[in-house]
Amino acid sequence: MTKIPVYLDINGHHHELQLEPRVTLLDALRDRLGLTGTKKGCDHGQCGACTVHVDGERVLACLTLAAQAQGRTVTTIEGLAREGEMHPVQAAFLEQDAFQCGYCTPGQIMSAVACIREGHAGSDEEIREYMAGNLCRCGAYPHIVAAVRQAAQEVAS
Amino acid sequence: MTVHNIRHGDASDGAEAVGGRLSRVDGPAKITGAAKYAVEQQLEGLAYAVLVESTIASGKVRAIDTNAAEAAPGVLQVLTPDTIISLRTAADWFGTPPPDKPYCPLARDISFSGQHVAAVVAETFEQAVAAAALVKVSYDETPSIVDLSDAKAGDGIPIDAMTKEWGDAQGAFASAPVRICAAYNTPREYQAPMEPHGLIARWEGDQLTVWEPSQWLDGMARTYAEWFGVPFENVRLVSPYIGGGFGSKALALSHGAVAACAAKMLGRPVRLVMTRPQTFTGYGGRAATRQTVTIGADRQGKIQSIVHRGVNETSMDGMWVEPLGSVTSIMYATPNFSSRQNVVRVNSVMPGAMRAPGENPSAFGIESAIDELAYEVGIDPLEIRLRNYAEQDPHAKKAWSTRQLREAFATGAERFGWARRTSEPRSMRDGNQLIGWGVAAGTYPVRRAYGEAIVRILADGSVEVESSSIDMGQGTYTILAQTAAETVGVRADDVVVKLGDSRFPRAGVTGGSRLAGVMTGAVYKAATSALDQLVGLAISDPRSPFHALQANTLVVANGRIGSPRGDGPDVSIAELLKSVGRDHIEATGDTMPANSTPEDRYKNYTTIAMALPHTEGDYSRHSWCAHFIEVRVDEDFGTVRVSRVVSALDSGRLYNPKLAESQWKGGIIMGIGQALLEEGIVDRRHGRIVNNNLADYLVPTNADIPDIEVISVGIPDLHSSVLGGKGVGELAIVGVAPAIANAVFHATGKRVRDLPITLEKLI
Repeated sequence: MTKIPVYLDINGHHHELQLEPRVTLLDALRDRLGLTGTKKGCDHGQCGACTVHVDGERVLACLTLAAQAQGRTVTTIEGLAREGEMHPVQAAFLEQDAFQCGYCTPGQIMSAVACIREGHAGSDEEIREYMAGNLCRCGAYPHIVAAVRQAAQEVAS
Repeated sequence: MTVHNIRHGDASDGAEAVGGRLSRVDGPAKITGAAKYAVEQQLEGLAYAVLVESTIASGKVRAIDTNAAEAAPGVLQVLTPDTIISLRTAADWFGTPPPDKPYCPLARDISFSGQHVAAVVAETFEQAVAAAALVKVSYDETPSIVDLSDAKAGDGIPIDAMTKEWGDAQGAFASAPVRICAAYNTPREYQAPMEPHGLIARWEGDQLTVWEPSQWLDGMARTYAEWFGVPFENVRLVSPYIGGGFGSKALALSHGAVAACAAKMLGRPVRLVMTRPQTFTGYGGRAATRQTVTIGADRQGKIQSIVHRGVNETSMDGMWVEPLGSVTSIMYATPNFSSRQNVVRVNSVMPGAMRAPGENPSAFGIESAIDELAYEVGIDPLEIRLRNYAEQDPHAKKAWSTRQLREAFATGAERFGWARRTSEPRSMRDGNQLIGWGVAAGTYPVRRAYGEAIVRILADGSVEVESSSIDMGQGTYTILAQTAAETVGVRADDVVVKLGDSRFPRAGVTGGSRLAGVMTGAVYKAATSALDQLVGLAISDPRSPFHALQANTLVVANGRIGSPRGDGPDVSIAELLKSVGRDHIEATGDTMPANSTPEDRYKNYTTIAMALPHTEGDYSRHSWCAHFIEVRVDEDFGTVRVSRVVSALDSGRLYNPKLAESQWKGGIIMGIGQALLEEGIVDRRHGRIVNNNLADYLVPTNADIPDIEVISVGIPDLHSSVLGGKGVGELAIVGVAPAIANAVFHATGKRVRDLPITLEKLI
């Protein structure tokens, strides 16, 4: 398959890649750019582990071709902290112990940041519903809810 | 002999000492994406392998046409049973000497659907995926036995080692005034860790490095070494973080052999990661089980006899025994008891360990049956458990090391508000929702083994811990940092724990909830020895500022050394090491018996043959728990929602309650999935798992889980471990499913004995 040039803007850095059109954003991030913070759990849009932001909205990187992200702004877990300062959601995840193995965690955090930004963190019920697309087999859900609640309050204040 | 006091680590809230609520020390790496999991290593020249699997459940591969795949762009190699290099058969996990015959990880003879038959290696992942679809396999198919309910399955093979009997169980049952008898079934369930199984294998000469998520580096390294006929020392397993295991990542499996063969044949590092569907057949989940539990009792609900029969499925060529009588035989006092078990061969991958193998389905049987007995005699389900409380291990006839189960019942009931429960089914409701309150107990044995660790005190005063044990989310990095910090007398921030490399001092399997107890003990011993050396130098070295003090003891705390009386110098560890001309102090600690031979040690770390029985000596050692669960059942639609959970648990002393609570809640949540959602569905024509993905094999989502309250009722149990802890990781799932089934009965009056409890069983 012929490779095509793909220009990606990831975490404020520009990358020029030569990729087959069938390469997903997830595999481009992990295998071509070494940005392995974004995880592959199912490769079928079922688990949420690969959640990243494209133009500020949460997107499943395994169901997005890399070429589709051209001309858009991509943010991954590696780009969330600013100048070494953890994002309030990251800090809340650590404080609330909202993860165990850590494999779903980058996707959970990217979803949580978007969930708060979307205005869907108004109650525990709402957080549970809008975080339900990110599976966690270790079962950190109650602590994820607590972390999102805490971060939402911090972001609001 | 140096005598010294150990002050506890510094932080004013006590978080850094053993037992403190220190946040995960590996947390920052995990929440920033910096934590590199095994297959995320970036290696030069990496090639990508993709598996091709059988589409029949039984028969032979007639031919594999690889022409199209070999001609596809980027393809480096197509491996088939005919082209892959031959391996030797490795010993099993007990270390049983293997048959002297070759081992081929790609199958000619097919005994289950999804068996690996070929693999394609290409320059890129995309090329390998595309080419794998071009491999054409033809078969000679033979009839298969798809599962336990298959008419051809038969009664199976009796497993005499599972038989537990005392008294005259059949006779006492026949003459009991109250008799209940029911059958309880659990389906195939899957560990489904979020990180799929996979590896990178790289050969350098006859040295093999494998980056692979692993619950047992030394056991897997031994298997690779035996397969390839190289010395154990030539194989290095690296597994710094593990994206969940739940029992599924303890053994080297055939996909690992395929990748290591490909790497050897190509002379390049090879990455092979299972697709999510492949994870349902590439290794075994929990075996489907069938149990019959009969209880004879008097009219006051006092048990006179329990007769238990169990069956689990296994594969055609492997023997998996899921010990179904494990909880049945110890939970309640009974003068007469009989438990026997068969296994039945079906065309499935060999089942494997999944969180509390044995105890989990066992508890579903006995903890449902005791609830049925409670209703039969009209006694509260909590009261009947207390009435039949086992004051000692009824099977081993030994005292419990500790059993805080009565306390768990009392504390859980109080917090849950059990006294407000009305006993009649369908007696509690909220609009169109029927409310049910259920209780069940759980238990898990304390599995023990030996471990080894190195503790180094470095020139800058920091402390380094090394062990080939692993952290898959249980908190090993954190509790070992706490143990070293407290023992040496430094802040936990100043401890670096290195795990997940088989070059480090050895550790046995991270399974059976044993790791924390084993490794805190080993690190405690190593750290104590390092501290002895440090204080010894400070007292005796002529260059030490303490030399003139003529002290026989010194105190190390917060990284500083001083006299216990506060007189004399007060220097940092770094300053002391500099003054005595040392760049580090190193101590190895292990918990092996003193007369252990090198062979004993190898056997301990690379097999499970040296694990200590939980009933060794005078005591029977177990963790215990009681779950109180509220469900809401929609009266019209039969949908079940868990709305409240209170669990009281006895895991002995907790090394870090913050992390233990997370693990307990995780076990409870997996138990909610088991009770209401999880079931491998078998296609009866082809023996395939139909729902082999995360959209169709339902695991709990955030929206399925209510607030969960967990309460520790444990006390230190020094018969169980050096520092007093008992198992944490597996305990909490045990008893959740029966507590939910019991709650559903209370809500609806319908007793569901087949998991999962789905709506069609209620309407």
